[in-house]
Amino acid sequence: MGETAPETEARRLAEDARDRVRFEEDALELADQVYRVARRMVSSREEAEDLMQETYARAFRSWKSFQPGTNLRAWLLRILTNLNIDRGRRVQRAPDMQPLEEGDYFLYNKLEESTQAPNPDEERVIERLSQDDAVSALSAVPHDFRDAIVLVDIGDFSYNDAAQILDIPVGTVMSRLHRGRRILKRELAERAVADGGGSE
Amino acid sequence: MSGFAIDPCDQCEELLQPFLDRDLNDEERAVAEEHLSLCAYCRKRYRFEEELRRFVRQAATEEMPPELKTKLAELRTPLI
Repeated sequence: MGETAPETEARRLAEDARDRVRFEEDALELADQVYRVARRMVSSREEAEDLMQETYARAFRSWKSFQPGTNLRAWLLRILTNLNIDRGRRVQRAPDMQPLEEGDYFLYNKLEESTQAPNPDEERVIERLSQDDAVSALSAVPHDFRDAIVLVDIGDFSYNDAAQILDIPVGTVMSRLHRGRRILKRELAERAVADGGGSE
Repeated sequence: MSGFAIDPCDQCEELLQPFLDRDLNDEERAVAEEHLSLCAYCRKRYRFEEELRRFVRQAATEEMPPELKTKLAELRTPLI
């Protein structure tokens, strides 16, 4: 008739093992996407690799606390963000919110000024930026603002997911994103001009 | 004269990010779209912003080293 207690226990263990294996496979499939975000949250490749290993070790240990059906990629990045803070990155409690002088057209205007052709089209203008400058400008954005940019603009997370990952309200994600993008454009403008964007 | 007139290009500049994020309400969106249909100056800057986001995203994307993937796989719980 019914299962004996040892049989029930054996079946439970087998189900557990199967769920765990599936969880680990799912998490590993997302590793490339998690890495892309992690890489830009820290300053070096080595740091990103260490953080990834710590994140996956912790995720595999605490897999039972993940609720199936929720966003696993966001869950992994929440662990990663917490570990990054534990590793000594100070949380900026009150990031600099003084008004920025530069608006959203600032970068375009600067690049256009330095382009010799009169009234250039936007493809010509963007050619004045280099990929290296983009990476270094992004890393120059203070980390609280950068995290919002990295999660939303590079990691494709929604504001809600970014808010949960960073443990801040959605409105704060939006304001950091908005300001962070303007800081990024200011940094890009400085680099483009220093690279000879001034041209003459 | 009563108050200050808002420069429509300044107003459009303020709407740029939420416009591209699809975060504007219908009324704000209509204001931005109407201005953009008339103003080549703002239109160029909006198109540039879209290009810029793609450019930064592409520049900032670094693929995971294959050795790291192996190391992560090794962290899995042994089956026995």
